[in-house]
Amino acid sequence: MTKPGVPLRLDGISKSFGGTLVLEPLDLDIKEGEMLALLGPSGCGKTTTLRIIAGFETPDTGSIVIGGRDVTELPPNKRSLGMVFQNYSLFPHMSVGENVAFGLKMRGSNAADRTRQSRAMLEMVRLAQYEDHAVHQLSGGQQQRVALARALATSPAILLLDEPLGALDKNLRERMQFELREIQRKLNITSILVTHDQEEALTMSDRIAVMRRGAVVQVGHPTDVYDRPRTRFVSEFLGTANVFTGTVAQAGDAGAWIVTLDAQPHAQGKTFAPEPLAVGRRVTLAVRPERLVIVPPRDGVIRAMVKDLVFRGSYFAYELVADGHDQPIFLYSQTRQILAEDGRVGLTWAPESAVVLGDEA
Amino acid sequence: MPPPVPRRGLRPYRLAGPSWCLPVVFFLAVFFVVPLAANLLRSAPAGEAGGVLFYYEKLLTDGYYVGILLETLKVALVATLASLVVGYPVAYFMVRHAGRWNGVIVFFVVVPLLTSIIMRTFGWRVLLSRRGLLNAGLLDWGLITRPTDIAETSIAVYIGLVHVLVPFMVLSISSVLQGVDVRLEETARVLGAGRLRTFLHVTLPLSVDGIVTGCILVFVVTNGSFLTMLLLGGGKINTLALLIYQQFVTTQDVGFAAAMGNVLMLVAALCFGMQYWLLRRTGIRR
Repeated sequence: MTKPGVPLRLDGISKSFGGTLVLEPLDLDIKEGEMLALLGPSGCGKTTTLRIIAGFETPDTGSIVIGGRDVTELPPNKRSLGMVFQNYSLFPHMSVGENVAFGLKMRGSNAADRTRQSRAMLEMVRLAQYEDHAVHQLSGGQQQRVALARALATSPAILLLDEPLGALDKNLRERMQFELREIQRKLNITSILVTHDQEEALTMSDRIAVMRRGAVVQVGHPTDVYDRPRTRFVSEFLGTANVFTGTVAQAGDAGAWIVTLDAQPHAQGKTFAPEPLAVGRRVTLAVRPERLVIVPPRDGVIRAMVKDLVFRGSYFAYELVADGHDQPIFLYSQTRQILAEDGRVGLTWAPESAVVLGDEA
Repeated sequence: MPPPVPRRGLRPYRLAGPSWCLPVVFFLAVFFVVPLAANLLRSAPAGEAGGVLFYYEKLLTDGYYVGILLETLKVALVATLASLVVGYPVAYFMVRHAGRWNGVIVFFVVVPLLTSIIMRTFGWRVLLSRRGLLNAGLLDWGLITRPTDIAETSIAVYIGLVHVLVPFMVLSISSVLQGVDVRLEETARVLGAGRLRTFLHVTLPLSVDGIVTGCILVFVVTNGSFLTMLLLGGGKINTLALLIYQQFVTTQDVGFAAAMGNVLMLVAALCFGMQYWLLRRTGIRR
């Protein structure tokens, strides 16, 4: 079933609604067979971008190129797209089979072909036995899979996923993430995933474009975006981040930099930086909770006190307070740490675990 | 341990009990059911020569009256279809495109219902008459050489009817269309359907409940309306409702009028029965 995927290029598309710029000129290249996530809070422009690709909105500037063909002026039905909506958007007046076959019918294929193809699609999502059922007889997860089968039945060039798993409960959502990903890989179909769920973006996509206020802040592989966030917004949107401000003190060993943290005069954290840092420069460091390590107080970069400990199933979450640091510090640990009776601990991190954040755009 | 006290709060909370319906039941019984029953008795005179069903026989066998009955249904049907054709686009526009102007459009749609039928009908007479605005305009633009007599034709009746009836159609359809998720239409577009086929395959079937309700309302109301026919028809259109009016005013044959009224009543009841049946069939999928 694998066929050569089709690349998608967004070339300077922008959009205003009623004088408000909701999407700044945006360039994105999505490679054939790639799954790109547009991740951001609501109102960041990710849905507008998707709607422009789908053809529901016309961009004010720029063009959309699917497989070398400029589709900017084409209506949605001429763009060879498949789309899955958050609420599944199944036609309530048609059976499951008719839903899946709808796109084929619109393309004028005959009844026998339609039945064969829609059966194959339903088999792919393991719902073949539900062909004649009414849509409302299916569970949320099943409806979701019917929507996917329907979107893929016409062998579209691009698959658009608009918060596709948002309405499912947590367990089902995690299962569907893998299933959707597997099908997408198998069909090698270029896909755009719009989501505000960082975990979904991290799990499912080849690359993530983090958006904020109508602009892409950072594009990269999930691990890049997670481990090397460029701004405070990105670091905090993709999970939890402990953010420290400080001043570069001196160059450390092996290319690391030593930063004096504002919180405590003795606190000297180490970090790597992509480019040399000038001594005396003000910097903002981000450290993920799972990268913080509890040590005896005198060995820590920063001294803190455990305020709360929460068991979260697969890990323990510590909430700590440090003198001179007004934000709570979070630390995730696989094991329960043995603490001194007064709850005083030192916190430290490896230089590669701290990221120097850039200024907000 | 004391036995658990039954919790009063477990009873479902209701603001009003069934007894709150009593006033309206009483009102309808006195002012609706009793007159209807009286009408039924009046239409079936016991001691007369033609028998109990005399008036009904006359109505359903005499060629003249059968013709009027058929014309009544024809007028209602044409007015219904015209209202549908005029009303659907308005309803669609209201729901899909009007946005914050929705309220304004609803106001203008409903406004004909708020003006007196006499005023409204005379307004049309003025507009459509030989020396009215329509003829003056058409003459000025040179589209016609002599004034039309549109005010005295059946077209005037249909214009007048549609004017009053379109609100029922628009409101019935728009309330159903509101529940049709716009994303279903977008889905159809992405799946390869053009605007027309999206409408035919998705929007239209999903708004069929509104169409049925609107059509039946308009049909039933047209069947019973006579002032529009009287004032705009110029005698060109003769319907059952007009005939009832004439029975009262000129011949004073109250029994016959009652029989005709009951026939209209039956038609209305059949229509609502049909609506109930249709909606129960299509309504479950939601």
